[in-house]
Amino acid sequence: MARMKFLCDAERCIECNGCVTACKQEHEVPWGVNRRRVVTLNDGLPGEKSISVACMHCSDAPCMAVCPVDCFYKTAEGVVLHDKDLCIGCGYCFYACPFGAPQFPQDGAFGLRGKMDKCTFCAGGPEEDNSAAEFKKYGRNRLAEGKLPACAEMCSTKALLGGDGDVVADIYRNRVLKRGKGAEVWGWGTAYGKPEKSATPPAGAKS
Amino acid sequence: MQVRLRQWLMVVLTVFACGWLPASVLAADNSASQEQAARQQTQPGNNAPVWRDVRGGDNPYQTTQVRGIESTVLMQPAGETWRQLRNGPITIYGGWLIVAVMILIGAFYALKGPMKLHDRPTGRRMLRFGAWDRMVHWGAAISFVLLAVTGIIILFGKHILLPVFGYTLFAWLAILAKNIHNFVGPVFAFCTILMFLTFVKDNLPKLYDIQWIAKAGGLFSGKHVPSGRFNAGEKAWFWGGVTLLGIVVSVTGFILNFPNFEQGRELMQQANVIHAIASIVFMTLSLGHIYMGTIGVEGAYESMRTGYVDEAWAREHHEYWYQDTVANNKSGGGAAKPAAASALKEGWKA
Repeated sequence: MARMKFLCDAERCIECNGCVTACKQEHEVPWGVNRRRVVTLNDGLPGEKSISVACMHCSDAPCMAVCPVDCFYKTAEGVVLHDKDLCIGCGYCFYACPFGAPQFPQDGAFGLRGKMDKCTFCAGGPEEDNSAAEFKKYGRNRLAEGKLPACAEMCSTKALLGGDGDVVADIYRNRVLKRGKGAEVWGWGTAYGKPEKSATPPAGAKS
Repeated sequence: MQVRLRQWLMVVLTVFACGWLPASVLAADNSASQEQAARQQTQPGNNAPVWRDVRGGDNPYQTTQVRGIESTVLMQPAGETWRQLRNGPITIYGGWLIVAVMILIGAFYALKGPMKLHDRPTGRRMLRFGAWDRMVHWGAAISFVLLAVTGIIILFGKHILLPVFGYTLFAWLAILAKNIHNFVGPVFAFCTILMFLTFVKDNLPKLYDIQWIAKAGGLFSGKHVPSGRFNAGEKAWFWGGVTLLGIVVSVTGFILNFPNFEQGRELMQQANVIHAIASIVFMTLSLGHIYMGTIGVEGAYESMRTGYVDEAWAREHHEYWYQDTVANNKSGGGAAKPAAASALKEGWKA
């Protein structure tokens, strides 16, 4: 089965924030939660580059390793998902994540954290595919509909690629060969450099 | 060399032009691009300096439209360090340390049994802890135990409770633990301050404490060593535990408890590591204190429960305090005030 990965081509990203908007629109994410963001390097200077970043669905996901209630699970396609019914909002995944992916809606006074929210690679959660409950908690499950993530599909310059890691890497390799520069695959070493942890069934299903 | 000099001259000029504060930022930025330029001379295609700069997030020209804490930081490698520390030594060694101390205390109790009174109780009681003392002590003690139990659930529950309870039930327990921990934490910090103010006077080190330490309080010989109102062991617990560890866990706890002051992840990771280590040490020390205060020493629990101790107990355990109290009462006129019969029985209500 395909191993899903994100890849952002820094040579192509034009900082339009279309991916960010597509994500918000597709999943109706609550105010203050940003599953994806675009970071611009050397903004306004020669050699300006932009990179779109969200959860990279790491092979050995740090969030999964530090979660005190073990609410994360990995699908057969390598997508790292979590069960909001189990999440206690401790924020440890946010400490551990290299990409700043986990988001917490403020739930009460003094910065009390609500249930964590993050990019699902448009693959929903442990609920039944495309059910109302799944949409409410995790947004649309495009993978179950046979579609790829909305952010990458919407990208106007095809800088952001999301899908089968081998296919995505091939596309990128061809680009690098043709243009002869920009070979850095941003974040891949951190996200996919470690041996893959095997897929786990949804945590809730085990109890 | 000349190019270098000119660059430095430019940096210095910009420093003067822009004033001191932004100057440091600009200098940092320049050094990163300088390093990158230098790297390209020796290793074309190696952009490591740029990527290091990108990971740091200190570059003022690194921007994003998403408003949030550290949203311009593209990548933070410190998270992995935190993960390795927390999931590794802290969980493994910390967990076994608590278990080991529990076993040691259990073994000691099984071998030596409780420390009993040598003399026969006189039946005359004297006040050791007033109502305020006891209120402060139990406020801190109850909040400490709540924090310890909920903290253990948060750190070790995944390994010891989750396999037994299953995911759903454990998640309920964990969310309850998290909220109890977050709300009781500030109560404990407050009680710790009161505790310090209440007991600091009698915990000041005295010369005769050296003797107590040298004989380990007669823990192994079974012979009591004279001490003031608090012996050197209690003083060590007061200064090292209540005061020092109390401050450490409270300060780090507040950093973690209130993420709405825009503190960054690295600060919270460091706070979490210190919080976990300090609280594990705190818990192991507290096991010793709880043992001595309950089953370890006969009459110790009653003193904090009712506030009164038998005169024989006072003479044996805290001889100097006993002498002082008796002398003070005598100089104050009249004999040591005997407590009313009702107070003896239900002293904690008085």
